[in-house]
Amino acid sequence: MTSADPPFGRVLVANRGEIAVRIIRACHELGMESVAVYSDADRDARHVQLADIAVRLGPAPASESYLRIDAVVDAARSTGAEAIHPGYGFLSERSAFARAVEEAGIVFVGPPPGVIDAIGDKARARAVARSVGVETVPGSIEPVRTDRPDLLDAIVVEAGRIGFPLLVKAAAGGGGRGMRRVASAAELPAALAAGSAEAASAFGDGTVYLEREIRPARHVEVQLLGDTTGRIIAIGERDCSLQRRHQKLIEEAPAPGLSADSRRALHAMAVRLGEASGLRNAATAEFLGAPDGMFYFLEVNTRLQVEHGVTELVAGLDIVHEQFRLAAGAPLSAAALAAADRASEPDGHAIEVRLSAEDPSRDFAPTPGRIRRWIMPAGPGVRIDTGMGLGDRVPPEYDNLVAKILVHAPDRDGAIDRLRGALDETEIAGIQTTLPFDRFVVRHAGFRAGDLSTDWVADQWDGPAERGRYAGAAAKAAARALVDGVPALGDPGPSVPERPAQAAPGDGWGAAARADAIDRWPR
Amino acid sequence: MTRLRVTDRSTGETLAEVDPGDRVAPAPHGERAVVLAGAAPPTARGRLPVEVVVAGWRFELEVEDADLAALRERATAGGAAAIHHGPTEVRAIIPGRVVSVAVTPGDAVVAGQRLLAVEAMKMENELRAPRDGTVERVAVAVGETVELGDPLVLLR
Repeated sequence: MTSADPPFGRVLVANRGEIAVRIIRACHELGMESVAVYSDADRDARHVQLADIAVRLGPAPASESYLRIDAVVDAARSTGAEAIHPGYGFLSERSAFARAVEEAGIVFVGPPPGVIDAIGDKARARAVARSVGVETVPGSIEPVRTDRPDLLDAIVVEAGRIGFPLLVKAAAGGGGRGMRRVASAAELPAALAAGSAEAASAFGDGTVYLEREIRPARHVEVQLLGDTTGRIIAIGERDCSLQRRHQKLIEEAPAPGLSADSRRALHAMAVRLGEASGLRNAATAEFLGAPDGMFYFLEVNTRLQVEHGVTELVAGLDIVHEQFRLAAGAPLSAAALAAADRASEPDGHAIEVRLSAEDPSRDFAPTPGRIRRWIMPAGPGVRIDTGMGLGDRVPPEYDNLVAKILVHAPDRDGAIDRLRGALDETEIAGIQTTLPFDRFVVRHAGFRAGDLSTDWVADQWDGPAERGRYAGAAAKAAARALVDGVPALGDPGPSVPERPAQAAPGDGWGAAARADAIDRWPR
Repeated sequence: MTRLRVTDRSTGETLAEVDPGDRVAPAPHGERAVVLAGAAPPTARGRLPVEVVVAGWRFELEVEDADLAALRERATAGGAAAIHHGPTEVRAIIPGRVVSVAVTPGDAVVAGQRLLAVEAMKMENELRAPRDGTVERVAVAVGETVELGDPLVLLR
């Protein structure tokens, strides 16, 4: 069932990578023309090729391209786009951007700027939550002053009331930036200064607040949709507990181990939050699940989430389609309302892994580079969201996400089995990715048992040891390659160097190698 | 069968010395290793750069004859030492039979000049002077069999 009329004629997608590709696909499915924007680093990127029109924003650094409000709005104006979808990250939660878009007479696909201001600010959102009876993690609602040394004593008293260990968190941001863990009062002044400075550089706002640390904790979030009449629905929750330094690595829907009643209660809290803050379009309410089963409100993200796909698979709903219809003023669709009705007793299970250009044996350090081999899994119940492919360069300037691998199956065990097979099919060379970590997780008994917490990665993952288990097999494969010759399969890079192994397979390599050595030896 | 040395390019450490005739032991879950030609040029001639990906782990490796690797190391150490300490010993880098000797003690030689030739596996391999100098001693004669690493010529 699709609406006969496209919500808009032409839409600008103010993003890059896999999410830009995903949104452009939705545009085309709904009969809308798409406008891509790009930086110099993305001139040949997939989202640029896929779009009907592409507009250059500027040089590679995000601050000179994807974060330039004026350039994005100009691009929309000059191409006659009627709406702008911001995706996630970049300008998606900047109310100034939403405001500039609206002032240009263009529809912003997301909540109104006033709501982004109100609910995107975590300290304000916490106050709203308390006003509608939603529990929040014990902490200071008001931002703490980091610029007044004379107020430090009062902050220490407040910290003692909240209890240690506690977290210093950035009011303006997420992703763990600006966050500091404080074990005792003595550590507090340094943590406040460091957290505030980091928040200022990451978000342009150094405001921080204090929050008690709850451990072990689960991270559970509820997907909300809202129309212009003020009606808000929850279409399901996701468990995003597998994180490393507050960056999500694996997400699933529904959250394992929740009863229909607790699921219903959780969804109802999220809906109350959405109603109280005047939410529109799509947003996500994030909660911390304590060991006693209590859920504490964390924050609302007023945008599409990276992990929205797992909810789509379980709910049978295209959230980006819904966003466009809602942005065009349509009421919540029959499909969305039906999904909300089913949300407390979901059918099926979906899991997503974020395949990122990071080295899980070296503390998940970024590994930008060129992709020299690229085999993605396929088959029933497998969905790949990516903006990358063979020969593409993962640029160092942006997020490290290269692909999202999603699986859908009738139940959680089936989804894990399917994911294990999908990950075994996946082959990427040229860059190190998080694939070994993901393969480890799907084989882990604790993960299968649904024993999830935000400490899981730190507790279970020993990257160097895992890598070491494969060094012998890698060395032997390399030795065989010298004897048999190196297959250049799928290698788009510079041609295979004329090595003895290719020139003379079998025993000939030895003599040639020796001749080489003699030529140069000793040096 | 010749043993091969596999070096991790990122650390320069020897990962393993293996016999390519050995049956490859399976990875922990039987994962297949994918081998590609290395993206970067070799760090020395006679070394094959490869990229191996197994179970999602990416290894940037170099493979070479283990004996040659050992010799090259010794030679490098000797060459470096010679700059400061005088004589340079030219050693056999392959086992074989000396088929010709082009220099005698007292000869002045320049870097790259042919010193002698060793035949191995029906191929004649020339040994050349690693630097300018004077031949102090020739340790072998035509027809002699030499083993890997035997001293052949001493340069001063």
